Amino acid sequence: MMTSPGLGIRLLAFNPARLLAAFAGIAVAVVIMFVELGLLVGVLDSQAIMADLVRGDLVMMSRGRTNLHKFNDFDRIRLSQIAGLSGVGEIIPIYQGTAGLESPEDEVIRRIMVVSFPAGHTPLAIGDEDEIARQLATPRTILYDRRSRPIFGNIVVGEDVELDGALYRVGGFVDIGPDIVNDGAVVMSEGAWLMRRPNARPIMGVIRLLAGADVAQVRERIVAALPDDVSVLTPVEVRDREVAFTLSSAPIGVLFGIGMLAGLIIGAITCYQILFNEIVDRMKQYAMLKAMGFSDAFLRRVILAQAVLLSCGGFVLGLGLAYSVYAYIAKETALAVQLSLTSGGIIFALAAGMSIAAGLLAVRRVRIADPAELY
Amino acid sequence: MTVALAMHDGLDRPPVKATGTAVRIAGVSHSFDKGDHKKPVLSHVDLTLKHGELVILTGPSGAGKTTLLTLVGTLRKLQAGSIEVLGTELLGLSARRQRQIRRRIGFIFQDHNLFDALTVFQTLKLASELADRRPGRSEMLDRAVEILSALGMEEYLHRRPGQLSTGQKQRVAIARALINQPKLILADEPTASLDLKASNAVIDLIKQRIKGQQASALMVTHDHRIFSVADRVVHMIDGQIAGQSFGFP
Ligand SMILES: Nc1ncnc2c1ncn2[C@@H]1O[C@H](COP(=O)(O)OP(=O)(O)O)[C@@H](O)[C@H]1O
Ligand SMILES: [Mg+2]
Repeated sequence: MMTSPGLGIRLLAFNPARLLAAFAGIAVAVVIMFVELGLLVGVLDSQAIMADLVRGDLVMMSRGRTNLHKFNDFDRIRLSQIAGLSGVGEIIPIYQGTAGLESPEDEVIRRIMVVSFPAGHTPLAIGDEDEIARQLATPRTILYDRRSRPIFGNIVVGEDVELDGALYRVGGFVDIGPDIVNDGAVVMSEGAWLMRRPNARPIMGVIRLLAGADVAQVRERIVAALPDDVSVLTPVEVRDREVAFTLSSAPIGVLFGIGMLAGLIIGAITCYQILFNEIVDRMKQYAMLKAMGFSDAFLRRVILAQAVLLSCGGFVLGLGLAYSVYAYIAKETALAVQLSLTSGGIIFALAAGMSIAAGLLAVRRVRIADPAELY
Repeated sequence: MTVALAMHDGLDRPPVKATGTAVRIAGVSHSFDKGDHKKPVLSHVDLTLKHGELVILTGPSGAGKTTLLTLVGTLRKLQAGSIEVLGTELLGLSARRQRQIRRRIGFIFQDHNLFDALTVFQTLKLASELADRRPGRSEMLDRAVEILSALGMEEYLHRRPGQLSTGQKQRVAIARALINQPKLILADEPTASLDLKASNAVIDLIKQRIKGQQASALMVTHDHRIFSVADRVVHMIDGQIAGQSFGFP
């Protein structure tokens, strides 16, 4: 049986060139939405990267450090104070600061983030633990973040680089990734960092619990044992707080939201135009269907089926294009833009919604098809 | 004559009373808005079609024949007077009842109004979606072949309109109008684009449908060649019935 969707799709498919052009038009809107959403998620992810990288159950930070781009540190004593608490296993300090890295190519000195922690206790998921431990145990050795923006020049393993005037050997690479503020990072051991900054205080303490310990209970014990100049959060809480902070402090949510809206409007207009043209071209045929006794609801389903087909085709094509565009953006900005099921789902829902809205508008056209004009 | 027999087709339609008349037009007037003044097109038209009757409506251009046809077909809102089609009064008809009546009418327009995307078979199948009882695929195929054969079109079952001549397209439109065995056929110049042979095939088919199924037809035509098959020829001039002729040889 030919159903109303069957008819709608047959009518659209009859002119493959026109259909393909229609898909392409909607794909453009889909790509715009993907890029806007991808950049937003990419920025949020990049800003929260340290939270994602933490390999531990709880994170201690200065209470004043309300976001990860505030560098309030805390007294190292706080870490020792909780060492004996039941359930607490390992406690690893992380230091963070910046240094000037001289590019081996143009010899210009650029600021780079320095992350450090005790050799042998890697609190971050940034590479092979044993290899990192081995390298950091070697004197004056650093590890270079391979996802740093390319501005620092070609950093080669085994060669020396100059960091604030001192020479370090590049022992290998880690994976951290830049954010809006930092273009790149190097990792060195706690010892090496304290040698440069004897008064450095940790910026983060990664706490690993003993097997079987309850996170909430241990956290309560920790908080009870410490003055309130530090806060103790789970990595997920740190991440959520960071995302909320980024969204509220910078207008990026609004900015990318407007971009998405623009894509949505472009898509809706394109879709409406296509459906409108389809209807206008077949006005007499639709009037004929009415004369035969087909209901307005049937005609509405025909048009809506076309809208859904357009959104599906446009989405698939747009997804393919977005994949390439994402790869390009990731390469150029080193931001963590990637296609995810969630963002794909969001964009598909938006594309379908915009097409159906356009379809419902276009349906008003088909309603005025007048069978009395046929004789 | 009123037959005390209520036919029920078993579906969601209310029973239709067999009154002996297929169409009863009484005192129908109609006018079109022409800016600030009204242009009268029909005035006090009375006309009755019995079941099994083929009535030809003829007369000069602008006489109001087409307007009358659209009123009977529920394609236009009735302004004054009364029209009863297949036992249902059209004045104040709900949209739902209107669709039900339209489904029992075979409309043949001057233009074929075929979807260029659909094959002849798909066109007929789409129309059959509206039948009281939807035929299965093989029954549908049989029906389509049967009706197309009667029109000399059986080879074109899987062609699209783009591959057909104007006359062939018109015959497809006629097949579409007749596929659900309508109780009433309303046709406006159905043979205008056909040669004599095709015209005769179309008229024979309509005639046969009328005899076989107790359907009736109201047909607008200037084609004197087919006057002979009509039970009556009604002449319209200036929105009024000017007279009728019976008993063509
Ligand atoms: N939709 C319309 N709006 C205004 N005037 C119309 C419309 N349809 C028909 N008319 C006018 O009504 C008159 C009768 O038209 P019509 O019923 O088509 O006559 P016929 O079919 O006998 O040639 C004509 O003068 C025509 O111009
Ligand atoms: Mg006319």
